[in-house]
Amino acid sequence: MALLEVRDLRTGYGHVPVLHGVSFSVDEGETAVMLGLNGAGKTTCMLAVAGLLRRWGGEVLFDGRPVGKHQDSRAMTRLGVVLVPEGRHVFPGLSVQNNLRLGAWPVRRHPRKVKANTDRVFDVFPLLAERRHQLAGTLSGGEQQMLALGRGLMGSPRLLLIDEASLGLSPVLAQQVFQAARRINSEGVTVLMVEQNAGALSLADRALLMQKGRIAMEGSGADLMSESALRQAYLGAPA
Amino acid sequence: MRFLIAGLFEGAVFGLLAVGLVLVYKGARVFNFAQGEFGTVAAFTVWALLGAGWPYPAAIVVGLLAAVVTGLIMERLVVRPLLDASRITLLVATVGFALFIIAITVLAAQPEPRSLQPLIGGEDRDILGAAVSPQRMVIALVLIGLAVALAWFFNRTNRGLAVLATSQDALATRAVGISVPGMSRFIWGFAALLGGIAGVLQAPIDIFYPGFMTRTSLVPAFTAAVLGGFTSLPGAFLGGELVGVVHSLGLHVLKDNWNVPGAGELTLFVLLLAVLLARPQGLLGKEA
Repeated sequence: MALLEVRDLRTGYGHVPVLHGVSFSVDEGETAVMLGLNGAGKTTCMLAVAGLLRRWGGEVLFDGRPVGKHQDSRAMTRLGVVLVPEGRHVFPGLSVQNNLRLGAWPVRRHPRKVKANTDRVFDVFPLLAERRHQLAGTLSGGEQQMLALGRGLMGSPRLLLIDEASLGLSPVLAQQVFQAARRINSEGVTVLMVEQNAGALSLADRALLMQKGRIAMEGSGADLMSESALRQAYLGAPA
Repeated sequence: MRFLIAGLFEGAVFGLLAVGLVLVYKGARVFNFAQGEFGTVAAFTVWALLGAGWPYPAAIVVGLLAAVVTGLIMERLVVRPLLDASRITLLVATVGFALFIIAITVLAAQPEPRSLQPLIGGEDRDILGAAVSPQRMVIALVLIGLAVALAWFFNRTNRGLAVLATSQDALATRAVGISVPGMSRFIWGFAALLGGIAGVLQAPIDIFYPGFMTRTSLVPAFTAAVLGGFTSLPGAFLGGELVGVVHSLGLHVLKDNWNVPGAGELTLFVLLLAVLLARPQGLLGKEA
């Protein structure tokens, strides 16, 4: 059953349209990967689904229920849709622990849940436990990405939107991030990742290719990997 | 010693105002030149209600509410529409709002000096050679109480943490589900409350008039905030006390002995320069 269903989504910035009718769905428990070149509209799509950018048109359904156009990120996090934004966006002047506390904002009135989520994050990312008192701004790029993912998990997400988690990371660190995403998914969290790194296709139950504000192709990760012309055109990999 | 003690009590109100300045700066990265006017609004409201026969406690509550409402109006009509503008534009807008409030109080209450009865009457007490009025003691106690409450708020509560988060990354703040406009309202309302408390406590010390908090206390409060590092609330308290002591000593040494005009302001300026040259980040300047 589709946990997230996006139908004919249109939005943009100011008067400039970016998405021209995007439709796709993500089933509960799967990992979906959205690929595309810079400027294709991937991040815009994530922001719109997360309630951080107003929709101009189209529909978003979560767990079978329509999401209102005016439902912002507060409402979406309460539903269980949490975004890990592109560029990490940790709170640099706050400790690792306080960054995680803020991630638990949607469930902050449930101390047991906050405690359980913290334990879970420290289990997935043991390094964060070691550095819990360190200021986030002093972590390395890879560690900040781990923290951003951990902060996303703190909100008890049913759907975790991960935007370009491997951006600016070495191949080794990017692989670690992908492994973390796999682990998160294996614990029952549905994951929708935006990536330019073709390595993410190895995780994908469902792969979406975005081009000029539209979904140009959809299939399994293996399907997209086997499309040689597509690999050359969009992923920069040899045909 | 008596000038030290007198300065500590005098500095308490600067500390109160400085904390409001730092709070707004931490939350919105804005230097708020209207911070003193929240105090003026509260003082005039209390004065008007006392004149109408209201009991003092009720007048204070309504006076502080008036300050908070003024802060919320400022946030909605001035700050929020300019959030994407440059910080200089926003700074000038806060100056404009301060002038607007001064004009309103002149129209409503005439530009005459007035006085407000102290919260607690009685003779001055001798503390280590310094004559300290009961009103000054109340101010110092309120400052200490607020210092403890604010330290707890920012270190122990989710909302305090959210205020700090808002100042660091608005997108991330929204992404975790925190309402940035809601936080902005909270920050400005709370800063206005602190300004109101400072105004209500300061007005009975001497005469007051439209714009009196901006005239008498805003520059020392800015100095206190800068000395503290402008992002540190304990620094703002400490800066307030330091400003009070230096002001008091400057008046004594330069004015009483050599009759130097503007002795208090001159010493503050020298203090500010010395700290900025020796420690540009202020005494306790770092993020929480």
